[in-house]
Amino acid sequence: MSGPKPDILWSPHHVDRYVICDSELSLYRIESLGSTEAKAGAVPLSEETAATLLAINSDTPYMKCVAWYPKHEPECLLAVGQANGRVVLTSLGQSHNSKCKELMGKEFVPKHARQCNTLAWNPVDSNWLAAGLDKHRADFSVLIWDISSKFTPEASVPAEKIRLSSGDTDSGVVVTKPLYELGQNDACLSLCWLPRDQKLLLAGMHRNLAIFDLRNTSQKMFVNTKAIQGVTVDPYFHDRVASFFEGQVAIWDLRKFEKPVLTLSEQPKPLTKVAWCPTRTGLLATLMRDSDVVRLYDMQHTPTPIGDETEPTIIERCVQPCETIIGSFAWHPSAQNRMVVVSPNRGMTDFTVFERISLAWSSGTSLVWACGRHLYECSEECGAGAAAAAERDVATKMRERAQSRYGHDTVQVWKNHVLAGGNDPQLKSLWYTLHYILHDHHRYYIIQCFPYFFGNKQPLLYSGIKNIVKSSTSGTTESRRCWSGSERPAEVVRYLSEERGLALQLCGWIRCGPDINVEPFLKSLEQEGEWERAAAVALFNLDIRRAIQILHKGASFDKGDLNLNVVAMALSGYTDEKSSLWREMCSSLRLQLSNPYLCVMFAFLTSEPGAYDGVLYESRVAVRDRVAFACMFLSDSQLPRYIDKLTNEMKEAGNLEGILLTGLTKDGVDLMESYVDRTGDVQTASFCMLKGSSGEVLKDPRVQCWIENYRNLLDAWSFWHKRAEFDIHRSKLDPSSKPLAQVFVSCNFCGKSISYSCSSMPHQGRGFSQYGVSGSPTKSKVTSCPGCRKPLPRCALCLMNMGTPVSSCPGTGKSDEKVDLSKDKKLAQFNNWFTWCHNCRHGGHAGHMLNWFSDHSECPVSACTCRCMQLDTTGNLVPSDSS
Amino acid sequence: MELHILEHSLKVASIAKEGIQICTHGLIKLAFLPSKTRCKFFSLTETPEDYTIIVDEEGFKELPESEHLSVAEATWLALNVVSGGGSSSSSQPIGVTKIAKSVIAPLADHNISVFMLSTYQTDFILVRERDLPMVMHTLSSEFTLLRVVNGETVAVNSLGVTNGFVKPKLVQRPIIHPLSSPSNMFCVTSLNPDTLPSVATLLMDVMFYSSGVKEPAGASDDSGHIRFFSFSLIEGYISLVMDEQMTRRFPNNVLFTSASGELWKMVRIGGQPLGFDECGIVAQISEPLATADIPAYYISTFKFDHALVPEENIQSVIGALRTNESTGQ
Repeated sequence: MSGPKPDILWSPHHVDRYVICDSELSLYRIESLGSTEAKAGAVPLSEETAATLLAINSDTPYMKCVAWYPKHEPECLLAVGQANGRVVLTSLGQSHNSKCKELMGKEFVPKHARQCNTLAWNPVDSNWLAAGLDKHRADFSVLIWDISSKFTPEASVPAEKIRLSSGDTDSGVVVTKPLYELGQNDACLSLCWLPRDQKLLLAGMHRNLAIFDLRNTSQKMFVNTKAIQGVTVDPYFHDRVASFFEGQVAIWDLRKFEKPVLTLSEQPKPLTKVAWCPTRTGLLATLMRDSDVVRLYDMQHTPTPIGDETEPTIIERCVQPCETIIGSFAWHPSAQNRMVVVSPNRGMTDFTVFERISLAWSSGTSLVWACGRHLYECSEECGAGAAAAAERDVATKMRERAQSRYGHDTVQVWKNHVLAGGNDPQLKSLWYTLHYILHDHHRYYIIQCFPYFFGNKQPLLYSGIKNIVKSSTSGTTESRRCWSGSERPAEVVRYLSEERGLALQLCGWIRCGPDINVEPFLKSLEQEGEWERAAAVALFNLDIRRAIQILHKGASFDKGDLNLNVVAMALSGYTDEKSSLWREMCSSLRLQLSNPYLCVMFAFLTSEPGAYDGVLYESRVAVRDRVAFACMFLSDSQLPRYIDKLTNEMKEAGNLEGILLTGLTKDGVDLMESYVDRTGDVQTASFCMLKGSSGEVLKDPRVQCWIENYRNLLDAWSFWHKRAEFDIHRSKLDPSSKPLAQVFVSCNFCGKSISYSCSSMPHQGRGFSQYGVSGSPTKSKVTSCPGCRKPLPRCALCLMNMGTPVSSCPGTGKSDEKVDLSKDKKLAQFNNWFTWCHNCRHGGHAGHMLNWFSDHSECPVSACTCRCMQLDTTGNLVPSDSS
Repeated sequence: MELHILEHSLKVASIAKEGIQICTHGLIKLAFLPSKTRCKFFSLTETPEDYTIIVDEEGFKELPESEHLSVAEATWLALNVVSGGGSSSSSQPIGVTKIAKSVIAPLADHNISVFMLSTYQTDFILVRERDLPMVMHTLSSEFTLLRVVNGETVAVNSLGVTNGFVKPKLVQRPIIHPLSSPSNMFCVTSLNPDTLPSVATLLMDVMFYSSGVKEPAGASDDSGHIRFFSFSLIEGYISLVMDEQMTRRFPNNVLFTSASGELWKMVRIGGQPLGFDECGIVAQISEPLATADIPAYYISTFKFDHALVPEENIQSVIGALRTNESTGQ
C-alpha cells in the first residue's frame, strides 16, 4: 500500500502557519522572501514566498483525519482521527500553556472500533468536537465529544472486561462517554457544523445527507443522495452547501433540501477535495484524483435559487498551480484567492488564483476592466498634431466625423474625405474613387459610349476597373509612340481601347469625354505641389521634356527640394541603348531614391518593354497611378492578371484604395469587410456602401450589419439627431430601408385609423402626415374623424380639437403667427403633433405639452395627478449632438 | 424506521470441506482482491460441516462448477434496517434482537423464510426474490421502504397486494429444533480494508488450512469446542467472527475491538440440516432474546443456524430458550 496522501490545513488564526499531514504532522511557517535572503532550511513556495519547518509531530499513528481547533487559544491544538476510531488531541510547536497541556494526549474512544472518517470542531462552542465514523451494527457513527469533560474511571465497564484494549489506558486520559451519539447503524463520511445554529450538524451518511439538531436528537432532516462526501458550507451564503460523490459535485440549498439546486459537470475521476474560497463569494475549488489542475467554479452571478427551477450559470475554469500532480490544497483564510497546494511527495507551492478579468469598452473611447476588488478605467489621451490624430481610436475619429457631417456630401462626393479630417490617404482615395464613379459626367459618358453595359445584369455603373477591364469587347489598338520632345523613337508600346480610357478616367488621369489629354491632371498635381507624381505621370505619357520641366519647377518653387534639379538632369541624359552606362547606373542607383515616384520613373526608363514589375509592384505608389500605368502599358493578356492580383492584395489588406478596382460590387463588400475587421470603421463602410446603392450590394447581410451597427453607435453616443439625419440620408439612397408606419392614430368612436382612412379615400385629397396632422387647414380642416365624422379629442391646454394647428402659446396668440400657419411647412412642425400620456391618456398638441411640462410636473387636466413626463424615461434624455 | 432493499442479487452456496481447494482461487480473489472483481457482497462462513458462501451474481462467476459446490436454488435479496431517528439512548439491545419483533416475527407470521447474516457493521435479512412483494406488503406498515437502484436510494410504494392475504393470528412459536452450545468463545470484529493485505496470508491460513493441523479433530469436538469462522466483505466493509483464541494470532491494532472487549458464546440450532423452506426458525430464537433484552448476532449457514450472545448471558439465554422449548412440546 502507498503511504497516506498528504493533506494540508491552514491555521484558522495565524495567517502564516499551516500543517501538512500524511503519516505525521508538520507545521510550517510561510514568509515572504522580500529583500532578506532565504533562511537556511526554508523551502521556496513561489517567487516571493518560502516556508520554514517549525515542528514535527509523529505521536499519532494511523492518522485518518485532522481538524484544527477553531479558537485563538490554545493555538495549534489539533484533533486527530485514527483508523481505529479514536480521536486524539495533540499539538505542534507549543509553548507549554497550562490549559493546553491538560488537553494534550487526551483520547476519545468509541465503544466499537472502526475508522474515523472525519472531524469537525463546533465553531461556536469550541469544546465540542464531532467525529464521523464507519458503520457498526450496534453503535452510532456520529459522536460528539466534549473535550473539557474530565477523565472518569469507567465505572460502567468492569476492569476485567478491558481485555482487548489492554495497554491503551496507560496514556492516562481516555474519554469513552460522548456528549451526543447520532446516526445509529449507519456510516458517517463527512461532517460540518451549520453556521445557522451552533447545534445543527450536517452529516454525509452512508446514503443520505442528514441534518442533526442537537436540541432534539430524535429528529433529523435528511435527503437520500449519493453525494455525501466532503460536505462544506459556503462561508458567504450559509444556506448553500457543497458535497460530492466520485466525480460529481452537488450544490444544495438548505432551505430547499429535497434535491440539489444544481450539480456540476461530472469529472472523469473521483474528486478528493472540494472547498469554498473563504475570501471571495461563490468560488468553489475542486480537486480530482491524479490531476495537476484545480478546477474552479464561479457562482458569483448566481441568482439566489429560491423557488426557481432554472439552473444558474456557472463559470468553470482550471488553474495549474504547479507542474506536478496535486495531492491536496488549502485556501488561505484571509489572503485574497490564495492557496497552498501540496504534491504527493510533499512538494509545496504557494499560489494565488488570478481573478477573471471582465472588460467593457464604452461606445466612446474609454475602457473599463475589473479584477478582483479593483476597477480600472482607461481613457484615451488626446495628443495634438496630425500624427496623434491618425493614431487615435477609431471611436473618437468616428465621433468627430459624425459631428462634421462626414458622408453627407452627396454633390461633391470627394469632399467627404475633407470632412473626415483630410489626413487619411485611404479615405482620400476612396472618396475620389466614389466621386469619379458617381460623377454625373462620367455616368453620362458611360451611357453614351457603352450602351451595351446596361444590357448586362450587373450595371457597369458601380463596377470597378476590374470589371471594366474584363468586359473589354472593343478591340485594343497598339501604338508605338515617340517620346514627345525627343527625337529618338521609343520602343514603348502603348495600348488603347475604350475600356482602358474609361479606366484612366476612373483613375483620375484624364477628364471625362473623348479627350485623352493628361495636361489638366498634371496642372492640378502641380498646384498641389506633388511634383514627383506629376513628373512621373508626364513621363508615363512619354513626355520626358514636360517631366523635366515639372521637376525643374518643383525645385525652384518656394521651399522646393533642390535635389529635383539633379533628378531632372539625370532624366535628361536618358538613352535607350541597352548597354549604356546611364542605364546601368540608373537601374542600380534608383533604389536609393527615397521618393517612390522618382524611383518608378527610372524603373520605367530602364526596364525592358512589356516588363514593368519595378513600377507595377512598387507598393508605395498610389494604387490609382499603378493601375493607370498598367492600363497604358500592359497587354490584353497581362492586364487582367495584374488587376486580379492587385485586387486580391487589396482585399486581403482591407486597403480602401482597392475600391477603385472592385467598385461597389460584391468584391467591394469583401474588401470593405477586411477593412472593417482591421479598423472597426463601420461609419465609412456604411456611407460608402449606401453610395453604391445598387440593390444587390445593399442587401448583403454584412452591409446591413455595418449600417445597423453605425446606427446603434450613434444611439449609444446619444447622437439622436445624427441618427435621424443618417436615416433620412439612407432612405434617400436606399428607398427600401424606409420604415413602414408603425404608429397610427385611431378614432375613439369608430376605431379606424385616422390617417389610414384618410389615405384610403382619394377624394379627400392629401393624406395625413405622421401623427395625424392635416395637410392644409384651408382646404380640409380635419378636426373630425374622416371615417365617422365624429370630432377628434381636444388638446388639454388650448381646448381645440386636434387637427387644429397650434396658435402659438395659448393666451399669447398673435395675429402675425396666424399668417404663418397658412404655410404647409409650418403645419408639419412637431408642435402640431398629437401627443398623449400612456398612463392617464390625457394629451394635446406636442408644443403645448412640452411648454406645460417645462414648468409643471403634473398632467394639465385638472384633478389628474399623473406625473406624465416623469413616466417617460426617454423624454428626459438630452442628446449629445448639438444640432 | 427505514428498510433498505439492497440491489445485490445473492446466491447461497455450500462448498464441501474436501472440495475447498477447487474454489480457493475464486475465494481468495473475492476476499482479498476486491478491485479485481465487480463483486460487492461476499461472505464466507466455515462450520464443522462445510463452507457457506453468500455472494452476489458478479462474484458467483468466480466460482467453478463442481460436484462439491451445492447452490440453493433461489436468488436472494438483502434487506437492511436503518434506524431513521438518531437516539441518544445507548442501552438499546442490538442486532437481531432489535429487529426481532419488527421484521423477523412479521415475516415468520407470513410464512416467509429468511436467511440471516449479522456482521460487525449491520444485520442483513436475506429473503427470496420471489417473496419480495409479500415482504414489502408485510413490512410496509412498520417501515419506510427504500430500494437501492444504481447506488441511489429511492422510495418504493407498497404494492397493492393486500387482497387474498389474511393476517395470520399471532401464535406462540415453540422452538422445534435441538440446540447446542459449544464451549469456546467468539469475537466479532472488523479491520480497516487498507490493512487487509498485511494480514491476508494469516487470514488465508485461518480460512483454508486450519483444519487438521492446529486442532486435532475429535479431541475438541468432544469437549464441545466448535470450529466456526466467518469472513465477509460487503460494500467495502470487512467483518470477522472468529474464535477468541484465534484473535491472538493477529498483530496488535489490526483488529477493531470494542472498548468493553465483549466476547460472545454460540447457540447452534438444528440437529439435521435445516433446509431453506422452513420459516420461523430465526423468530423462535430471537423473540425470547428480545423479550429478555439480550443482544445477539445471528448467522445462518447452509445447514444450520448460529446465534451469538454475550458470554455473560449464555446461561439465561439457554434458560429462556429451554423454557420455550418445553412449552412447545
